[in-house]
Amino acid sequence: MLKRFTSLIIPNRGVKQLVNIKWVRPDYVPAYKPEKSGDLEGLPKNAEKFAGLDYNLSGELKDAPEAVKQIFSVAHLGRKEYKALVQKELIDRVRRHKYDENTAETRIARITGHIRCLQETMDLFPRNVKTKKVVQELIDKRKKLLKFLRQYDYKKFEWLLEKLNLEYKAHPESYHKLTRRESLRRLTEMHCDQIRNRKLDDYRNLLESQQGPYLQEKLNSLKFIRSEQIELQLPITVNEQDIKKVETQLEEWKSKEAFKQQARQKKKNLLID
Amino acid sequence: MANKIKDAAKKFLLLGQCVPTVKQNATKIRVKRLELDENLLMYFKKDDFYYCYDPNKMCKTGDIVLIKALPQKMTKLITHAVEEVVYPFGDVTDPVTGKKVAKERYREDVDRQSELYGKLDSGFDYKKAPPRGWQEGKKDFTSKPTYTRFHVFDENDPYSI
Repeated sequence: MLKRFTSLIIPNRGVKQLVNIKWVRPDYVPAYKPEKSGDLEGLPKNAEKFAGLDYNLSGELKDAPEAVKQIFSVAHLGRKEYKALVQKELIDRVRRHKYDENTAETRIARITGHIRCLQETMDLFPRNVKTKKVVQELIDKRKKLLKFLRQYDYKKFEWLLEKLNLEYKAHPESYHKLTRRESLRRLTEMHCDQIRNRKLDDYRNLLESQQGPYLQEKLNSLKFIRSEQIELQLPITVNEQDIKKVETQLEEWKSKEAFKQQARQKKKNLLID
Repeated sequence: MANKIKDAAKKFLLLGQCVPTVKQNATKIRVKRLELDENLLMYFKKDDFYYCYDPNKMCKTGDIVLIKALPQKMTKLITHAVEEVVYPFGDVTDPVTGKKVAKERYREDVDRQSELYGKLDSGFDYKKAPPRGWQEGKKDFTSKPTYTRFHVFDENDPYSI
């Protein structure tokens, strides 16, 4: 009761919006999603039809009937086999030698395979908290390994990003919860910058449009002075070079102006369309 | 007196690290110092940031560079110029032998090891590798500072998180 009464007398305090800006809060994206974790590539397509890792080398399975193949396929053997297959595919992309298992690039590849499998699981079961935690930890670990690799071997880091189709974004200055006040402040700043730049551009255009007539006048007067000096046999102060310089400047201005006119025309046409 | 010497030293040459910035023709350099707290008689670390004129983008994020004060301020922000890149980031050379290093081992030793085990084509080859920066703005977003996404724009900025 009291609360309602006081709110009637004392106006609500908050950020007073002086500029007409519509703020749209970005949608919440869970951290395990590929757009947040930086995975540009999903799981390999039709991987479920492949035989499990241990049966891959078998010659008998190649000629076996379709039903037997299905039994030994990854879809039938279970998620664990599927994960192993995905991980092996990723590790093979970056392997140095046959026994390479624990270098930075193979570790990152293995973690990437695991993450991509778990991301699919999370899409199916978004309330699975244990998996969510595991994915988050793995993503953080991979980012840390990538950060270290970047520090001691930049060329390999870039090559690895390309090979595994990953995206790396540096840590921001601070991780904090987004607030309305901050967002509005930044939007207002952008708006002010826009206005300032537009005004500056307009003024620049105005000055540049005045350049042409001025140069024409200058050229004429220089020519006149030179001809007068020659006629009256006075010491000549205006060179041929000076006149040429002004002429080139004028030509440059004309070509620029024509280019601008074309751009304006194109804009107009676009607007009409 | 001490302050005078400190100021003179600051104008002479400074060693710092390049940090991400959005400026076009300048780089932001962080210089780490220790500052004495006279009450506690203890030193605490303190970072100073300088904007340095660098039109050709000589240094990239993370490089250790030498900077020098300009005779006059160029703009309100830009007061220094980049003199030279001392240590490029992520490309370590051993100062004693002059060999390239990856983490705690020489690169040639790493190569030798993989040769002994039987080198595969899938491994990384230093000789074929292009110089740093070919993934900049494509998959490696470290040249500009990242920030929390605060609005839904028409175009998504890759530097927003």
